[in-house]
Amino acid sequence: MRRLLWTLVILLVAGLGAPSTAQVRKLKAGWIYVGPIGDYGWTHAHDVGRRIAEKTLPWLETTYVEKVPEGQVEAFIDRLVKGGAQVIFTTSFGYMDGTLAAARRYPDIIFAHCSGFKRAPNVATYMADFYQVYYLNGLMAGALTRSGKIGYVGAFPIPEVKRHISAFALGVRAVNPRATVHVRWIYEWFNPAAAKEATEALIAEGADVFAFTEDSPTVVQVAAQKGLPSFGHYSPMYRFAPRHIVSGQLVHWEKIYVDFLRKVYNGTYTPRNLQNVDYWWLLAEGAVELGAQPGMPVNPVFRPRLEAVKVRVPGIGTVSVYDLVFRRLREMSGSPPAFDPFTGPIHDRNGKLRVPAGRRMTVQELITMEWAAPGIVGPWPKEPK
Amino acid sequence: MDAVLATFLRALAFGTPLLWAALGEIVAERSGVVNLGVEGMMLLGAFFAFATAQLTGSPFLGLGAAGLAGTLAALVHALVCVRLRANQYVSGLALGMVGAGIAGLLGRGWEGTPLGKALPELSGITLSGLVLSGLVWGFLYHTRWGIALRSVGESPAAADAQGVSVPLVRSLAVGFGGFTAGIAGGFLSVAYRPSWTEGMTAGMGWIAIAITVFSGWDPLRAVAGSLLFGTLFHLSFRLQGVVAPELLKMAPYLGTILALTLTTARRGSRIQEVPEALGVPYVRGER
Repeated sequence: MRRLLWTLVILLVAGLGAPSTAQVRKLKAGWIYVGPIGDYGWTHAHDVGRRIAEKTLPWLETTYVEKVPEGQVEAFIDRLVKGGAQVIFTTSFGYMDGTLAAARRYPDIIFAHCSGFKRAPNVATYMADFYQVYYLNGLMAGALTRSGKIGYVGAFPIPEVKRHISAFALGVRAVNPRATVHVRWIYEWFNPAAAKEATEALIAEGADVFAFTEDSPTVVQVAAQKGLPSFGHYSPMYRFAPRHIVSGQLVHWEKIYVDFLRKVYNGTYTPRNLQNVDYWWLLAEGAVELGAQPGMPVNPVFRPRLEAVKVRVPGIGTVSVYDLVFRRLREMSGSPPAFDPFTGPIHDRNGKLRVPAGRRMTVQELITMEWAAPGIVGPWPKEPK
Repeated sequence: MDAVLATFLRALAFGTPLLWAALGEIVAERSGVVNLGVEGMMLLGAFFAFATAQLTGSPFLGLGAAGLAGTLAALVHALVCVRLRANQYVSGLALGMVGAGIAGLLGRGWEGTPLGKALPELSGITLSGLVLSGLVWGFLYHTRWGIALRSVGESPAAADAQGVSVPLVRSLAVGFGGFTAGIAGGFLSVAYRPSWTEGMTAGMGWIAIAITVFSGWDPLRAVAGSLLFGTLFHLSFRLQGVVAPELLKMAPYLGTILALTLTTARRGSRIQEVPEALGVPYVRGER
């Protein structure tokens, strides 16, 4: 009996030990987050990406630190390196210079900085951008507004948010040339109370469809209380207003993380060849998705209303907005995309030509754009003359 | 007229949590104890209100849990700085951070779900906040207990000599402050915006402390301060088409400070509003 027991124990230990010794090397990656992972916005989405990457890649070990102030990123990079991290993702624009400084001190560690534009032999950059999805949301918003006024609650007036609002407004105007997009800024990435009062202010001014950039479902909830349609942002927000949320933007950071880590693991990326590695991933790569919930591009509740609105589109003819959304979605999901919202001629809201006929804006132009598309109403700090 | 009424209603809604939190802080500070942990107590209140309301289906039970959580957190502060006479500012700041941390930790995974059954935004909480400020005012200025509480905050040695238990009064006052801060947080997560997100108070606790000071520790003026702040906060979004948003962003803070300073300054020469022993631990026999 005792011998049997021992045999079992030995077998068990061998069974547990064998794979780990027989299996190949591990890769350890660390993430640095600017917010709490419970914010249900930016940081939450990155952490979901990290967890999926860990589940997908059996050889991957992950660790993270949250709520790291932007000025202190270097100290936390030191901590992750001491903990054995070989790849470090820094996930806030403000970490840019700290990441580059740390990268010089740790030339053998691979860094990837999210949403920045400075690279180095061991620092890559990456971004999953929403402008195409905002355009699609704009098409639907233009069809759904009755007052002709669409409300937009914006976080900060920086190029990223301005680009998204402009793409949204271009979509609105493609369907409803007289509709306007009214913008209110809250000057914070996360402030539910401010988002709420901004939405209330827009409602008081007659806006009846809502989109936003803020890290909580507040705008969706406030609009739904008044029975008004809205578009979710960043995380799946369908559950917060199943009868009133139309669609929205969803992010899949895991697509970038898995791809990047695989290439590190198989030796494609080394700490010496990242100078030109920049992920600018969109619909075609699956890094972003249209919808308020994965797998549901448009809330079926709104299908009849979207099918009832018909528009004439040059080169296509007369189609329903519902069909137009899916057609554009298909076109933009191709590689290279057959359609881009920022294709000229585009004038800004003051009538100045910004994109000449037949040209598409480059990535560089997109990430630095400050002008406002026609139809946008409201303050627009740093608007070029 | 419609716009005025609409703005007033927004001011009431946004002012409600500020008023509740400020009332409690006024009582605590009137007894001589500063509690800078309002933000943390509000977050604990917000989380426990949300979780309880979600699990039981009753937002009222949620509010009860919020009040209880706030009270317990505040009693820790009372233990540390009334019983053990530690520095009130340090203890309060620590309470704020620990409260926010615990709420964040417990709240993991609750952020993606809306509250099943919520309270309307303008409900009994707003009304009872207004009634409560009247009651607190009456209590502080027109009851023996209120006089005892204020004298503990002005001159604890004298109150002690009169046979008033300084530690007891202070602990009760701080506990009350925690209760109202908890309700303030609970209001946010079951009525104002029925859901939970980490750090959802986003600085409201600090505004409540500011209102406490600028209202001159007067519960009725705190009503005015909360409404004024609420009005300006709402207008800062309403007027963005007309006035530069950067200026409007400061307006609520600037306006509240200005208005309350003016009202305090006018009476200031006659009455010294700051509780004399504010922030000073009481040790019997010293001084």
